[in-house]
Amino acid sequence: MTDYFKMFVGSNTNRLLSPESIRTIEGWVRVPNMGSPSNTAESQRIRNLDELDVIVDTDAHIRETIDDLLPYIDDQYEGAKWIVERTEHPERDIYSLTHSLPPSLHAERGGWSADTNTVDKKLNELDEFNIDYGIVDPGLNLVLPTVNNERIAVALTKAYNNWLLDNFLDEGNHRLKANLLVSHHRPEMMAEEIDRMAGEKDIVGVAFPSTGVIPPAGHDRYDPIYQAAEDNGLPVFFHGASTNTSHVFPLQRMYNQTYTEDHVIIHPFSQMWNLSSLIFQGAPERFPDLDFVFQESGVGWIPYLMWRMDDHYLEMNYELPLLEKMPSEYIHDQIYFTTQPLGHTEDNPRHLAMAIEMAGPNNIMYSSDLPHSDFDPPSELFNRIRGHFDRETVENIMGETARELLDL
Amino acid sequence: MPSKHKVATTDELTDGSRVITEINGQEIAVFQIDGEYHAIANYCVHQAGPLCEGKLTGETYVEDNGWDWNYDDDEKHITCPWHGWLFDVTNGENIHNSKYKVPTYNVEIENESIFVVR
Repeated sequence: MTDYFKMFVGSNTNRLLSPESIRTIEGWVRVPNMGSPSNTAESQRIRNLDELDVIVDTDAHIRETIDDLLPYIDDQYEGAKWIVERTEHPERDIYSLTHSLPPSLHAERGGWSADTNTVDKKLNELDEFNIDYGIVDPGLNLVLPTVNNERIAVALTKAYNNWLLDNFLDEGNHRLKANLLVSHHRPEMMAEEIDRMAGEKDIVGVAFPSTGVIPPAGHDRYDPIYQAAEDNGLPVFFHGASTNTSHVFPLQRMYNQTYTEDHVIIHPFSQMWNLSSLIFQGAPERFPDLDFVFQESGVGWIPYLMWRMDDHYLEMNYELPLLEKMPSEYIHDQIYFTTQPLGHTEDNPRHLAMAIEMAGPNNIMYSSDLPHSDFDPPSELFNRIRGHFDRETVENIMGETARELLDL
Repeated sequence: MPSKHKVATTDELTDGSRVITEINGQEIAVFQIDGEYHAIANYCVHQAGPLCEGKLTGETYVEDNGWDWNYDDDEKHITCPWHGWLFDVTNGENIHNSKYKVPTYNVEIENESIFVVR
């Protein structure tokens, strides 16, 4: 018994394990792609937000209204425009914007009113929290997947993009960057829209509102969108919305009796569905040069889903021939996540940092979600991670990763 | 110092069959696949399951057209009966991730007898 030794594994019998197997197991538990965690020397830490060279908000909402968009609907869609402008409650009867209970009692900094849909007001929001760049995402048009008329959906998508160009990007401030909008309704037409918009200054990505997208994001009907995004070098951003629950999880909408129940569940639910669909239907394999960004579900769910996907991949060989590597490897290589909402993590501040470490800190980017009332100021994230990671990792999470990914 | 251990005769081990034995306290399986002999530990590095008591299988794959699924019937992958992890018996590597590896051993044939070197 000198060449090998016994190893007891759980309640298993005393199966003998040779030294080469031990080496394999050591390799097996090593977590790839980690930043430098808590053993970082004190001198390598960053202490103050002011020391950061750049803070990027990778989910900076604006609050477009139907009245904003109507003048920007192309003549080609005159009939659609005629209907929309005569609709008494377009948020309800063109879009199906519904909540379980109204969230308007929540906080004064409401999410849906239109009082900050100008460049100056959006810049004021960034300034209030010392944010350098905002990656602009839609507000009302997060609900785009619920528009059940394809012509109107396409007309509104293009109108948003026209309005965005005219009101936010042509103002020459260059601190506001934006994702051009696509809908899931007509992927070939959205590919043309990506080609039309991609060359505009300060367009840095493709916003794909993703709760209510049926079939989910990995289905190859969306390949024209992904192909156009890849060809134009733009990441695809998936943003959920609990407003769309009725279209994708009708049973949950029926029985979630409060806004809270709906909001807590639907954001991670829909992102988990879209991410697992994307991975297991092989989208990153089909588009190896395309990056994907998942927004507004926080970070706690990432290691959970990653572990679960890897486990299934190793056990379900026969039904996953589309994949050439572990799901977690696709995630580390091509999938990014924005941080808001962090959740209430201050009882033990290190827990959030540990979740980011498990998820892979190189793929995590700060987001605020301003002006919505569950926004996270930069300090909320910074204070949780600055004692855990080295300076470079913190800088990456707060802005440098976004700067590189989006070529800011 | 490695030594040779007889595990079977060549006529006992037909194509696609196996023998599982114990050598110096280590359970080892020898497979015959397409006339070649391969020795591998009867131990899954996932959860210590009896790897070599499972089925030999081929592999599903996608045709170049990106749509059709096909089955490669070169059945050289041992499937752990506990959770279905798959290892190539010719090199001990998990077919999805080579960082998961089961020990393999040299096999020698002498006078129609099969020996494992360990």
